Amino acid sequence: MIRIQNLRFSYPASQQPSLRDISLEIGEGSLFGLLGPNGAGKTTLLSILSGLLPCPPGQVWINDLDLAQPGTLQKARLALVPQEYAFYLPLTVQQNLEFFAGVQGLDKQQRQQRIAQAAAQTGLSERLGDRAGNLSGGLKRRLNLAIGLLNEPRLLLLDEPTVGIDPHSRHFILQTIAALNAQGTTVIYTSHYMEEVESLCDRIAIVDHGEIRLQGELQTLLEQQGSERLSLELQRPLGASERALLAPSVTVSDCGRQLDAQPAQLGEMLSLVQQLQHLGIVRVRYGQHNLESLFLDLTHRNLRD
Amino acid sequence: MSATGFLIRKELQLLGRDPHGLALLFLMPAVFILVMTFALQNQYSLNTDTRLDYLLLDRDQSEASARFVEGLGEVGTFNRLQDSGDEEALRARAQADDAKFLLIINAGFAEQLAAQQTAVELLFAPGTSPIFTGVVESQVSFLLKRLSLELSYGELLESADDIRQLINNNDLYSASSLFEGEQQYPTSVQQNVPAWLLFAMFFIAIPLSTTFISERQQGTLTRLRSQGIGRGQLLAGKLIPYFGINLLQVVMLFLIGLYLVPWLGGDQLTLGQHPWALLVIALAASLAAVCYALLVAQLAGTVEQATMFAAVCNIIMAALGGVMVPRFIMPATMQQLSDLSPMAWGLEGFFDILLRGGDVIAVLPEAGKLLLFAATMVALATLIERRRA
Repeated sequence: MIRIQNLRFSYPASQQPSLRDISLEIGEGSLFGLLGPNGAGKTTLLSILSGLLPCPPGQVWINDLDLAQPGTLQKARLALVPQEYAFYLPLTVQQNLEFFAGVQGLDKQQRQQRIAQAAAQTGLSERLGDRAGNLSGGLKRRLNLAIGLLNEPRLLLLDEPTVGIDPHSRHFILQTIAALNAQGTTVIYTSHYMEEVESLCDRIAIVDHGEIRLQGELQTLLEQQGSERLSLELQRPLGASERALLAPSVTVSDCGRQLDAQPAQLGEMLSLVQQLQHLGIVRVRYGQHNLESLFLDLTHRNLRD
Repeated sequence: MSATGFLIRKELQLLGRDPHGLALLFLMPAVFILVMTFALQNQYSLNTDTRLDYLLLDRDQSEASARFVEGLGEVGTFNRLQDSGDEEALRARAQADDAKFLLIINAGFAEQLAAQQTAVELLFAPGTSPIFTGVVESQVSFLLKRLSLELSYGELLESADDIRQLINNNDLYSASSLFEGEQQYPTSVQQNVPAWLLFAMFFIAIPLSTTFISERQQGTLTRLRSQGIGRGQLLAGKLIPYFGINLLQVVMLFLIGLYLVPWLGGDQLTLGQHPWALLVIALAASLAAVCYALLVAQLAGTVEQATMFAAVCNIIMAALGGVMVPRFIMPATMQQLSDLSPMAWGLEGFFDILLRGGDVIAVLPEAGKLLLFAATMVALATLIERRRA
């Protein structure tokens, strides 16, 4: 289990803290979604958890061991899968796996066994002799994941593991992650794809400006936020004069092209529809609250902003 | 195998997959050594037994001109070629660089000498080095003056043995190297092998820095650090393989100088009296090169920047350091400037051993400078890396 208590962190060159009083609990065996716009502090948090950034003592515990103490990371058997293709494109899949298994101090027999296992889990068994640079984007993502599985992690940190790949590969990777979690691996998952997080994760936290804005079980959070929602999608963005017409509870996102409101403001929205017709209304939606609308409500920013 | 062993093996695998990098490190210096050694063989050959070919046209055909021609034949550095044919043909041969110069003895040679007028015409082949023209002019001038004296004061000289002896005396001075029994200036192969070796050693900055930058950009360094690989291991994983590659360059390029160049008809590289001292200067130069590469990796933000920066800096260091133009023919100011280049320190270290019979002690000043350079590079690289973090 991971326990984070009032974690603060500032980069030496920055005057603004990147993380402010973060407190989180991630249960063993959970599949935890960490969401936030770019620059919210997700990568900083993952970097602290994976030992890339120094952890202040007494603020992060993994399995009740203080992360600031030497040896905690090794005992945690943690693996970070970065967003980039963090391997060597000129080498073959086998050579990459050999190398990353080797630097972890595995002996020859362990290496062979782990490489075979990781390759099978990620569907790369038939591609071991291929040069990594010649693989498709989807297979590269699988190799990125396979390298992370070499130490049979108990805690897997995945930073955007499905960016820029085809739906088939995305589906395969999500299935692999779900299977790993079903086998007991704790997964912390960051993604810009809300539907992925919604379908995969049981618990989430939304980070913005270095603070946790919301955390808990996904289903409970959605229910707490109310079940219904009205969205308006515009062809052209709102101008300053049009923004002034809006009630404070109406959320504007996507650079002024999307408006979201609770059904309580339904009448207000319908009159707005009349007034904003000149901007070109692309779509009007009314329905269940989802993770994306929850995120927009909290951060007033699109994930890709 | 330890983690560092895997890091080293990975680095060698990456280089093995990089034909451009391999060509840059091994093929380029080998080609440079062969081309430059043979291209410049004659330019360096004044220090060896190679002779200057010349053609002669005697328009005078007198006893005096015959004595002058005889005197030319006694000059050890001159080699008269078969020169039958008319003036036009001989000029054409000199023009075509068949010979270094064409010497024409004017008609009325003895009278012109007596009247202290121009009696001989020297026509040099295009592109003849000023060093050669200077040697030829001084030899011809000496022969003409001696002959002039003999023609004008022959009888007097016959009776004045001491004057005649003075004219022909070659023992008024002695010439030798400051380093007993050794050369002062390198031959072509002695200049080119260590020079292009140093050039190639510093070129490891390109593959080393580009893999470093790729690892930084692709998140591989992040991944390795998250797996508990320390800074020291990462650094050793970079430095050790390239250190080994530098030593491989030393062995390969010295073998070219020792065996391939003489086999192709050039001079053989001689290793001096203390060949093991070469290892000291080679190791120091290698350390300087790999540490310089680390600084390039920290200074450059992209692979393209690193490639450009390293190549330009290497060429400037080589031009300044006597790799492309030997230091001993540079003017004094340029020689002082050249002291700023680590390649010049390395080259002087190699010359200490190859030419001057130096041992390990003799190369310590140059090796010390190179080690200081290496330490400075590492310190700067560390400073930049900390700022970046």
